[in-house]
Amino acid sequence: MDDLTAAREQMALSLGFHIVFAVLGVGMPLLMVFAEWRGLRRDDPLWTALARRWSKAVAVLFAVGAVSGTVLSIEFGLLWPTFMERFGAALALPFTLESFAFFVEAIFLGLYLYGWDRLSPRVHLLTGIPVVLGGVASAAFVTTANAWMNGPVGLVTDAAGQLVAAEPLGPFRSPTAAPQLVHMVLAAFLCTGLAVAAVYAVAILRDPRKNDGYHRRGLAAGAVLGLAVAPLQVLVGDWATRAVAESQPAKFAAMEGLAHTTDGAPFTIGGGFDEHTGEMVGAIEVPRLLSLLLRFDPSARIVGLDAVAPADRPPVTITHLAFDVMVGIGTALVALALWGAWLARRRRVFHSRWFLRALAVAGPLPFVALIAGWIVTEVGRQPWIVYQVMRVPDALTEQTGLATYFYVTAGVYLVLSVALVAILRRIAAAPLVSGEWCPDTKRHSRPVHRGTG
Amino acid sequence: MSAASAGLGLVVVVGLTAYAVLGGADFGAGVWDLLARRRAQRDLLARAMGPVWEANHVWLIFVVITLFSGFPAAFAALSTALLGPLSLALLGIVLRGAAFVFRQYGAPDGGRPVRGTAAWGRVFAASSVITPFALGAAAGALSTGRVSPSGGGVWRPFVAPLPLLAGGLAVACCAYLAAVYLARDAERIGDASLVRDFRRRAIAAAVVAGALAVAALPVLPPQLAGRLTTVGAPAVGLSVLAGVAALVLLWRRHLSTARVAAATAVATLLWGWVAALYPWVIPGRLSLGDAAAPPTIAGPVLAVLLAGLTIVLPCYVLLIRTLRPEELAGDPRSSPGR
Repeated sequence: MDDLTAAREQMALSLGFHIVFAVLGVGMPLLMVFAEWRGLRRDDPLWTALARRWSKAVAVLFAVGAVSGTVLSIEFGLLWPTFMERFGAALALPFTLESFAFFVEAIFLGLYLYGWDRLSPRVHLLTGIPVVLGGVASAAFVTTANAWMNGPVGLVTDAAGQLVAAEPLGPFRSPTAAPQLVHMVLAAFLCTGLAVAAVYAVAILRDPRKNDGYHRRGLAAGAVLGLAVAPLQVLVGDWATRAVAESQPAKFAAMEGLAHTTDGAPFTIGGGFDEHTGEMVGAIEVPRLLSLLLRFDPSARIVGLDAVAPADRPPVTITHLAFDVMVGIGTALVALALWGAWLARRRRVFHSRWFLRALAVAGPLPFVALIAGWIVTEVGRQPWIVYQVMRVPDALTEQTGLATYFYVTAGVYLVLSVALVAILRRIAAAPLVSGEWCPDTKRHSRPVHRGTG
Repeated sequence: MSAASAGLGLVVVVGLTAYAVLGGADFGAGVWDLLARRRAQRDLLARAMGPVWEANHVWLIFVVITLFSGFPAAFAALSTALLGPLSLALLGIVLRGAAFVFRQYGAPDGGRPVRGTAAWGRVFAASSVITPFALGAAAGALSTGRVSPSGGGVWRPFVAPLPLLAGGLAVACCAYLAAVYLARDAERIGDASLVRDFRRRAIAAAVVAGALAVAALPVLPPQLAGRLTTVGAPAVGLSVLAGVAALVLLWRRHLSTARVAAATAVATLLWGWVAALYPWVIPGRLSLGDAAAPPTIAGPVLAVLLAGLTIVLPCYVLLIRTLRPEELAGDPRSSPGR
């Protein structure tokens, strides 16, 4: 593996690993604080028990998210020092704000996790709110920095191309910033909600005795969050796609698999791009649909890949298929949301085994869509690290032997994943003790029943 | 260099200091975990670290972000020149952070822990030694003036007397801080045997740290030695005084004041090194002024940093004051979420 490939793969691996924990670190606190609030408001010990159980999962997920995020912040320099040297300052404001958001989140998470028996219930609940806000804010700031790489705004360079000044607020004004960050924050809630729902759906399917108040509450909280967000996410995704079409035509053409600039462009599903002939192969095409969707005019002209010099094109097949996967999953989740809403009206959610099975299957899907979406964003930006300003190979470090780093990272992350799954399963499977909902009555802390979640 | 950049430089030093005296103590706790003789020692340090280590860790991210925001060229040059030790530190940070929670939550409700929990305990302890060693070695190698942002090798500049001594000194300082803080925590919960254990360990670590510092003197490059005894002299002098004061206070069992003295000794040692290095980031190759971000960025970033710190610092104090071990309360509640 050459150094450039190794550095790219390492970045992809580090981001792919981190993003899974990052979204759970953003979404889980919301569910946790919601459950605690419900428990307090309704004097409902089952909600409080859920909040306590979830707070343990948050502790583990947050820790892995924090260290894998640290890896990223330092890897920017280790792998791409030239990029950081020239543009570190341009990205300064979103990252500085992110560091404070993360600080607030970490401090209040400490208070929250270790304050269950030290703080009054009301104050404890309040300490959860900065955790939620800090998580959402840090996700938004980091995504803003990424949006700037897709649409650099506010650069001032001298005749030699050296950055002499940059607009501090540039990243916030980049064309894809707003849709990208909303899309990301909603993705965090979507992933978390459906992952949580799936855990309880699996538990109920495996053991019908677990179709009880505890598991139903857990399932409902997750499913409502995830399925309510799903239709919104499709709308925001549409917004983001339009922003890409405006500002990054090459990425858009690759996403849609559109080889030629066409009046009345078809909507392309599947297939691959032949680099030699410059044609799409084996795709299903719906005539004129792309023009209709993008411009609301079935004969509108859409810019294709042939408008972009081959050296400036992203890898088309990966970008296109990743986009199809994301859109396909998004659509399927909206259908699931409609089914869930229909069942909920009839009060049959917990009695439909098929719906529970669908929820169980739907748990991992938004994570697949999340990774696919980031593949669209990042692979679709190639060959640029900063769109139309700096190419990826020009940002690479002068150090060599990067393949070793990639293999070590892959090995470490694999081991961490295995251990993490074992520990989350243990947290989920621990018996539910009555002490979990009335901490002051320790003498009654005998197992009530086996919980799963 | 503009006033804003100078301010950003100071913020980097503040962040480094906070990471050294707060995060450093968490690494040191790992060192004592490695050397622990009894379960009670491990329990005390897990309990002391649990609520705060995430927040302490953020200081590192804070330093990294302030550095690349305010001094992007310095960040790039350091990242390239120090690739070896920084990746080693990163590996240590990842393993340590994950291992700490894996160990804490391996048996979240008592009973038999998940398979591998004991092994994660060892990983936590070992990576707590590796990380400060790698960071210390990186600082030591910078001081030698042999590192270079263009090549120079991934490991070669670090296998030399000064980097290795500096790595050892960093580990000793972390262990020393941790032992002093833990002695005071043990005093708060009223466990006399733990106070005795960590008081002894603090004195031992102080002696080792002092010996390593003295051993490093002959291998210091003459230029750096000269700077340390001139511009660095006030800070280094204060470090020696505070170090001696901490020993006396430990001996006389003034553990609360000893904490302040110990932290001062470590912080001022760091400041002495920074002052001696200044104005260079990489001696002879890159100066801080040349690495500074454009003034249009430096000003707003400094403003955000100062505003942010005024919000974060009171929150941090609240965290420490709320969750420190209760004075003479005999009810250990080390496990979260119970």
